[in-house]
Amino acid sequence: MQKIPISLAREGMALEKPVMRDNGMVLVGEGTKLTSALISRLENMGISSIVVKGEPVDMEGVGSSTTYAKRIERLDHLFRLHENDEWMQEVKEFIRGYYQARAAAEASAMQETES
Amino acid sequence: MQDLRVDKKGQILAVKDLPTLPAVLDEVTKLIQDPSSSTEQVAALISQDQVLSAKVLKMVNSPIYGFPRRISTIQHALVLLGLNVIRGLIISTSVFDVMAKNMVGLWEHSLGCALACSSVAKKAGFKDPEEYSVAGLLHDLGKVVIALQLPEMKEEVDNLVQEKDMLYIDAENEILGFGHDRVNAWLADHWNLPKNIREGLAWHHRPRSAQLYPEMACVVHVADFLARLYETGNSGDDNVSYLRPYALDTLKLELNDLEQVMDELGEQFMELSSFRPDE
Repeated sequence: MQKIPISLAREGMALEKPVMRDNGMVLVGEGTKLTSALISRLENMGISSIVVKGEPVDMEGVGSSTTYAKRIERLDHLFRLHENDEWMQEVKEFIRGYYQARAAAEASAMQETES
Repeated sequence: MQDLRVDKKGQILAVKDLPTLPAVLDEVTKLIQDPSSSTEQVAALISQDQVLSAKVLKMVNSPIYGFPRRISTIQHALVLLGLNVIRGLIISTSVFDVMAKNMVGLWEHSLGCALACSSVAKKAGFKDPEEYSVAGLLHDLGKVVIALQLPEMKEEVDNLVQEKDMLYIDAENEILGFGHDRVNAWLADHWNLPKNIREGLAWHHRPRSAQLYPEMACVVHVADFLARLYETGNSGDDNVSYLRPYALDTLKLELNDLEQVMDELGEQFMELSSFRPDE
């Protein structure tokens, strides 16, 4: 799952969440595959971003490293001031386990969209 | 040293100079102390300031509260969220307004912490999660006000954090003699914020010291940790805070209970990533 600006939307991407107007009215339902006609219609309606399945856009440098695989890489750095603290190491390993489970779920969701 | 500290407190509390705080805030504070005032009166007062109303409504309709329908009037927002939350929104949007450009990272961290607060409060089974989220929204207000009132000292703090790779609050204590948590307590008194929110602001780093509302301080403490863990925005620290077991114990939560909270936050933080309160 990834939230992307409409300018990066491409044909074939699938919606993870419905596109809604400000008042909550659903414009396009969850699971819909994007077509170029649909993308330009959404642009015309002033929709600025959408949530799509998988992680189709490399947003590196846009400030959102949302994948759990990337989060795991950051763990040691984030906990560096608590390296000698037994409890905080326990917390870190708990989070690592959680991230690993989520990363695996992400990977399988990604395969599903590709197939 | 003591004199110096009193002197700095005075400088910081010269918040009247803050160009950002709307006159409406003082009037609202006065009005709610009057037991005969009504929600309609407060709503009418806030609505007079159209720019402020628009900002408050934008926050009310943000992913933090996740209402299924758009809330379009201050009156409706007051009924749904209560006066304390709306006052918190006025303070946060006004104070962050000036800083939005150069402290956008801290703003995002505060929004992330607000989201996490309401998630943690719900998991702990507390009612009125919005009250907790407003404490999260305001928990680093002291940092903003230090930056506004003592800009050269803020720079020294930033430098020290970089140089020695230490926690922001430790650097504040070294340079200023007090941290943003202390400033939060001064500000809360200054604006006459409710005691529960005051304790959340003042004790989010040391929840054990909260005497009246320990659960509020503990919720903000855990939420701050989670917002830093997910690196939503930038708190000034590029590392996690110490997650005190006392906070989890007080909330009657185990580490495992955080899984559900993180499931929720993973999605919500992402929705937040493109939310800009100042546009």
